[in-house]
Amino acid sequence: MTAMRLKGKSAVVTGAAQGIGRAIALGLARAGANVAVADLQRDKAEDVAAEARNFDVTAIAVQTDVANEESVANLARQALGRFERVDILVNDAGIFPQARVTEMTEEIWDRVLDVNLGGNFLCCRAFVPSMRAQKSGRIISIASGIAHTGAVAGAHYAASKAGIVGFIKALAREVGPDGVTANAVCPNIINTELPRSHRTPAELHERLIRNPLGYAMQPEDLVGTVLFLAGDAASYITGQAINVNCGTVMI
Amino acid sequence: MADVALITGGGNGIGRAVALKFAAEGIAVVVADWEADAAENTCAEIRSRGGDAHAVRADVRRAGEVKDAVARVLDRRGRLDILANIAGGSFYRKRLEELAWPEWKEVLDINLKGTFLFCREAAPAMIRQKRGRIVNTASNYGVTGSALRTPYSAAKAGVIGFSKSLALELAPHVLVNVVAPGPTDTPRVMEGWDPELRQKRAAEIPLGRNGRPEDIAEAFYFLSSPASAQITGQTLHVNGGWLMP
Repeated sequence: MTAMRLKGKSAVVTGAAQGIGRAIALGLARAGANVAVADLQRDKAEDVAAEARNFDVTAIAVQTDVANEESVANLARQALGRFERVDILVNDAGIFPQARVTEMTEEIWDRVLDVNLGGNFLCCRAFVPSMRAQKSGRIISIASGIAHTGAVAGAHYAASKAGIVGFIKALAREVGPDGVTANAVCPNIINTELPRSHRTPAELHERLIRNPLGYAMQPEDLVGTVLFLAGDAASYITGQAINVNCGTVMI
Repeated sequence: MADVALITGGGNGIGRAVALKFAAEGIAVVVADWEADAAENTCAEIRSRGGDAHAVRADVRRAGEVKDAVARVLDRRGRLDILANIAGGSFYRKRLEELAWPEWKEVLDINLKGTFLFCREAAPAMIRQKRGRIVNTASNYGVTGSALRTPYSAAKAGVIGFSKSLALELAPHVLVNVVAPGPTDTPRVMEGWDPELRQKRAAEIPLGRNGRPEDIAEAFYFLSSPASAQITGQTLHVNGGWLMP
């Protein structure tokens, strides 16, 4: 396995200013791919792009709201304009404001579904035409084990993530004949800003290691699977949801 | 020191492709097969490409032979890092009421019991090393079922259930996963298929072609490599989108 196996490829990663998306953007850059760092948070996205350039690739930051058609169209213009082609799309942008169903407002429901699932739709719709034209492309969406298990105060999140898995399978059938694959990666809890925001460090650690491997997953731990799916080795894998979760869920 | 991998069914088809892939990645390979000539042939190919390989003969159904095979690997190599259980096959295409008990047993034993026996013998060394990867082979038919392949479907579904339980037992240092190939053009499959039917099947696959042994080998390598260190108890389907469970 060569370190620079994605040399000459170009990737777009949404939600890449922090957490899992940031780790994936930097992992792709380390493997030699140019990256567009898409995120609502412009300054942090710029920082990640600057960090990616340390790997001697072209990296741009594009402020993006994945739930906004105009904003996603702008992302496609910027990325395709700068790189000429996009080989890899990683849909990571997601939110998880906790709320029980009985207390869930329509606004919270809409926002979670629009960002987590609608963002997949808008970004795929924006990049699929060029992937089809070039007869190759890799779409990798970050779903969640919660798609399978559900979670208290997470019905909207579970619906959106299970929705991603269904969406990716249908898309895989649509784009397969043109040499484009679409897969999902399903992590369980990972040590990112999101779970850190509502737990004490001790609570978080206890929760992170509650899995068969007793290992606290970090954002970087998804990079190996994403690089595998983005590379030539996975050219015959499509429509799959791959659990990377230390054995927490086996389905 | 190079990792040591034991590959059952390494003489032909998918097993052979996995052996060649592992060797190309610098892994020392032990090819197990009940056909000694086929195993030797894979090893000769690996050595001609500068890799490190030796063969052991074993019938995966026989506990004594499996135990001896693993013991010989440990004697010779001193360790065992990766076990890929690939020996298998569907062998019969028969309606249930026409299946003889020995035929049922044969398919179950080669596909499922053989996997159990090799895992049982290899696990203690991996636990001792605090390091190990086991990758077993299922099939899309283990999930969807297939007319005229009841024992094969039962055995392959069994491999998936078995592997999940074993993943829990062997955590945290030994990871256990499954590769489930879809329709794959191995020499044995090619022999049994009407070319027209094969083409028709390929047209039903979103990626438009049957699998190649090399496609499946990449998945075995991924699940044996550091890139998958947080994956255990999972089944990776490699089928061009033919099945999305």
